[in-house]
Amino acid sequence: MKPRIIKHRFLSRLRLKESWIIFFLLGIIMMNYPFLHIFNKSITLEGIPLLFVYIIGGWAVSILVIFLFTHSIKTESDDDTGSGTR
Amino acid sequence: MIGLGTVITAVILYAMLHFLVALYAYDRYRKGRSIVSNSFVYALSITVYCTTWTYYGSVGRAATSGLDFITIYLGPSLTAFTWWFLLRKIIRITKENNITSIADFISSRYGKSQFLGALITIIAVLGIIPYIALQLKAVATTFSLICHHPAFLIPASLRDSFVANNSGLLFAIFISSFSILFGARTIATKERHEGLVAALAFESIVKLLAFLVVGAYVTFIHFDGFGDIFSRMASRHPQLFDHLTTIAGIGETSYADWATNLFLAMGSIMLLPRQFQIMVIENSSESHIKDAMWRFPAYLFAINLFVIPLAFAGILLSGSNSGADFFVLTIPMNANHPWLALLAFLGGFSAAAGMVIAESVAASTMVLNHLLMPLVLKLKITVFSKLLLTLKRISIFGIVFLGFAYYNIIGQTYTLVNIGLISFSAVAQMAPALIGAMYWRRGNQYGAIAGISIGFSIWAYTLLIPSFIMSGWWHSDLLEKGLFGLNILRPTQLFGLTDLGIYSNALFWSMFFNIGSYLLFSILKEQNETEREQCGKFIDPFKSDEQQDAWETKRLSKPVTIMEFVNLMENFIGEANAHAAISEYLVEHEIDEKGMVSEFELPSLKRYVEKTLAGSVGAAAAKAIVESYLSDIGSQMESFYDAFRSVRSSLEESREALYVRLKSSEIMNKTQDLRLIIHELLELLATEFSFDLIVVRLFDEEKRLTVCCAIDAKGNSINQPDIMPEDDRFISDLLISRRPQFANDTRNLMQHQNLLATPVDQYTAFAHIPIVGEREPAGVLSVFSTSIVGLFTEELLNLLISLAGQLALAVELVDEREAKEKEKAQKDAALLKNAAVAQEMELAKQIQLSLLPESPPNLPGVQIAFLSVAAEHVGGDYYDFFVRDERIVDAVIADVSGHNVGAALIMVETRSVLRAQVNISNSPGTILANLNDLLYDDLTRAELFITMFYIKYDTISQWLTYSSAGHNTPLLYRSSDGSCQLLDAEGLIIGVKSGVLFEEKSILLDPGDILLLYTDGLTETSNSKGEMYGLERLSALLIDLHEEPLQNMIDLIYRDMISFAENFNLSDDVSMVAIRMERSDMDQQD
Repeated sequence: MKPRIIKHRFLSRLRLKESWIIFFLLGIIMMNYPFLHIFNKSITLEGIPLLFVYIIGGWAVSILVIFLFTHSIKTESDDDTGSGTR
Repeated sequence: MIGLGTVITAVILYAMLHFLVALYAYDRYRKGRSIVSNSFVYALSITVYCTTWTYYGSVGRAATSGLDFITIYLGPSLTAFTWWFLLRKIIRITKENNITSIADFISSRYGKSQFLGALITIIAVLGIIPYIALQLKAVATTFSLICHHPAFLIPASLRDSFVANNSGLLFAIFISSFSILFGARTIATKERHEGLVAALAFESIVKLLAFLVVGAYVTFIHFDGFGDIFSRMASRHPQLFDHLTTIAGIGETSYADWATNLFLAMGSIMLLPRQFQIMVIENSSESHIKDAMWRFPAYLFAINLFVIPLAFAGILLSGSNSGADFFVLTIPMNANHPWLALLAFLGGFSAAAGMVIAESVAASTMVLNHLLMPLVLKLKITVFSKLLLTLKRISIFGIVFLGFAYYNIIGQTYTLVNIGLISFSAVAQMAPALIGAMYWRRGNQYGAIAGISIGFSIWAYTLLIPSFIMSGWWHSDLLEKGLFGLNILRPTQLFGLTDLGIYSNALFWSMFFNIGSYLLFSILKEQNETEREQCGKFIDPFKSDEQQDAWETKRLSKPVTIMEFVNLMENFIGEANAHAAISEYLVEHEIDEKGMVSEFELPSLKRYVEKTLAGSVGAAAAKAIVESYLSDIGSQMESFYDAFRSVRSSLEESREALYVRLKSSEIMNKTQDLRLIIHELLELLATEFSFDLIVVRLFDEEKRLTVCCAIDAKGNSINQPDIMPEDDRFISDLLISRRPQFANDTRNLMQHQNLLATPVDQYTAFAHIPIVGEREPAGVLSVFSTSIVGLFTEELLNLLISLAGQLALAVELVDEREAKEKEKAQKDAALLKNAAVAQEMELAKQIQLSLLPESPPNLPGVQIAFLSVAAEHVGGDYYDFFVRDERIVDAVIADVSGHNVGAALIMVETRSVLRAQVNISNSPGTILANLNDLLYDDLTRAELFITMFYIKYDTISQWLTYSSAGHNTPLLYRSSDGSCQLLDAEGLIIGVKSGVLFEEKSILLDPGDILLLYTDGLTETSNSKGEMYGLERLSALLIDLHEEPLQNMIDLIYRDMISFAENFNLSDDVSMVAIRMERSDMDQQD
């Protein structure tokens, strides 16, 4: 019961236009200076460069977030802002 | 080992597979069972973004400058966050307005400007030609690599064969034919290119698979996974490893380049003509966006996963990063895996083919609609639909071969990555205008043109020219010395901005001036009418049409028929499409019963025609086509005269309309005088709308429309004719339809006869509005203008209709009130008259009563009493006494039929005549006969008659002589035996016949006898049961009461009768005369 409620609440927040814009801006900020500067170091993790891990990891997370976003549109079923099949 | 034949066969087979996939998809589409219309194919087709620049270039760039290649894919991935709002809005706008390309999109928004469309087309074409060149170069280079590599068994003689040397040309021919076949089948509206999209999706799968297979092979088979490659690279080339896995050492410069690349890529995914074509024009459902939003980034992620490992592997295997652009191909070849290399080649081939196909189709649409179309229209060529298709095909061919030419002339020298970024920077110039188009209401044409052209100029100066110089194609010292030798104008360090990469420098300055001019000009200049109209469609595309256009503000100066519009469309989109389009329109809109399009409908029809044409030729050209057609037939769009002069708020009525409504209701409530109301209302209309003549005609009782009030603009009264409805065909139509009849330009009227109330020769615009409320039309309000063409907008007419409706209510109210007052007055008059009559009757009654004897005659030997009660004011009963001498007395009782004034008058006459006769004769019979003869004529004329009983009594001899003219038989009480007997004599009623004789009888009476004369009112009075009082009751009563005093006796008889009638109203006059015989003195003397 509980995780489902949390999931539902989370998804319903994602439906807001503001959430999309926040994540969009967050993505731009996190993939730019100065965030990049934090990871821009000659360090490797298990032999793989830190910056590469950060970028690939961050990218994967952003795709996951979009996936969740689109999922929230689905749960919203067919309201007006939803599928405009024409 | 594979020979050249195998390679060529593989390529040809692969190319044929392309055709098959496209044909299959096209066939399915035509049968209505699309395989393309789903979110999977949509997402795959968007990845046409990944060209050979991705396929080969990413590895090349990763091997030379490191991680920053990833920005090109990270950017679009971030943009995908906005798609649900941004892309969906663009798609909605595009579908609503039949937009054909990005140039069309932007120019449509900014007033369908042909110039803007052409400008964007030129930028886009200039921007993408190097990019197409890049694809051709990639295919040609990789093919030549295969031909010259020992892994393929190709004889040296064949290495310089035609095919090997001209692979770029052959590829260009293949690609352009494919694009023409599937991208330019027809010029029809609203058609998506499903075959083309299917081929793109297929290519996307091939290029991803090829890249993943090569990447996985190298990473996991040739090497031992990611960690292995990275650690070997770190130990073998530690400096290079550091350089490639971090962003350039010290300073923020490379962070700036990183950001530049990221933003360029974010914009390009939306702005590149092919991306717009695939994502927007070829989109079949908005819901596909939803899945594409994460599938597309996931695809990018997957295709980039092995880029770094491949780059490092290439460096490790070849020892350096030279030739890194083709590591994807050379690694398998050098590892002696020709099949793998062939797969890699086909992957690159796919990437190149997809890009060139999509880009050439998108660009050809733009070239056709924005560059060629204006020329075609200028030249006034008439056979369009075939010509357009040919031109489109030529455009595709032309674009691909421009790319080919570019590749041959300058493209040989420059590396792949740079060409792509130059294109990105060019299309980025459209970003401010595009975003502004959808989110900034004030953004206008001037701003867009200024921004784009200045941005483009700076792009050309800071990127294009330097790229020419750097490629060595153009020798100049511009880069070092700047324009005019001004150091500050060095293209790559413009305005002294050093330490910034060439792309950052170009992007910063071009965007700075682009956005700056866009904002500045948008604020300085006003939008024109078309822009304002388009603006709403772009900013609020999710609003319905009804909400957007409250009123038409434009009209066609000369009406155009539906057929004329259809013919126009046929020229461009063919007969079938034109008819389909117009019938769709007719179904959606109410067209009146005559099949005529109303004046207010015409602008909407014109817009629809424009929109339909826009689907084929773009909005700017469609606007030009329709407008030039209209001007050819002498019609044009002109503004309705704005009767509501203030700036209207888009959806509500203007302030003027509200003011007029307010004032008019004030007028209606102020007074009840209809004429005053109408006069003030007309004055209000005259001052507010400057009508030159306003007439109100109301129906009178004969159904004539009589002028109630007619004034001119200054409020002076004007003479206007009263008319019958059939005197004016507009009026008669109006009364039938109850709709306003109007003309905005009387010069367009065909017939001029039968227009009594419409002086069309004096006025240019007029409107008749029915004054109709809840009942039948009460009249007509007519307004005229001498000079203003196009005065009557739908809004103004609606206002007038509502005023006329109010007026009708006022008329109805006044009518009702008048009717009530009239009724009341009639009643009052009747009452008054009655009262007067009653008074007269009372007077008559008094007179009549005065004619009856006041008191009985006093005569010895006889005692007389009488009583008379009239049923009405006046009665027809009459009695009288004539004392002839001391011993003889005559008595008469009569009843004139009826008891009205006539009867009373006859009674008066009878009395006069009788009084005269009494002196002439003393025989009752003779008196009655004479009376009859004298009154006969008068009675016949008055249709009345008289019953009468006449007696003559000699008090001495006690003989009673009597005659009767049909009167009730009197009762005689005989004192001798206490009985009652009836006195009867023959005689006809007076007035029935002249010359009648009356019997005269005599009887000897005794003292104590009582004679009771009466009228029929007494005996014929009936009670509620219908019983009559009757003779028996009377005679019994007479016997009972014979000893009572005489007056007392008849009073009692009367009271008895009243109580018998139980307060029943007397229906007849009642009169009684009682005579009691007494012993006379003379008798006593005897």
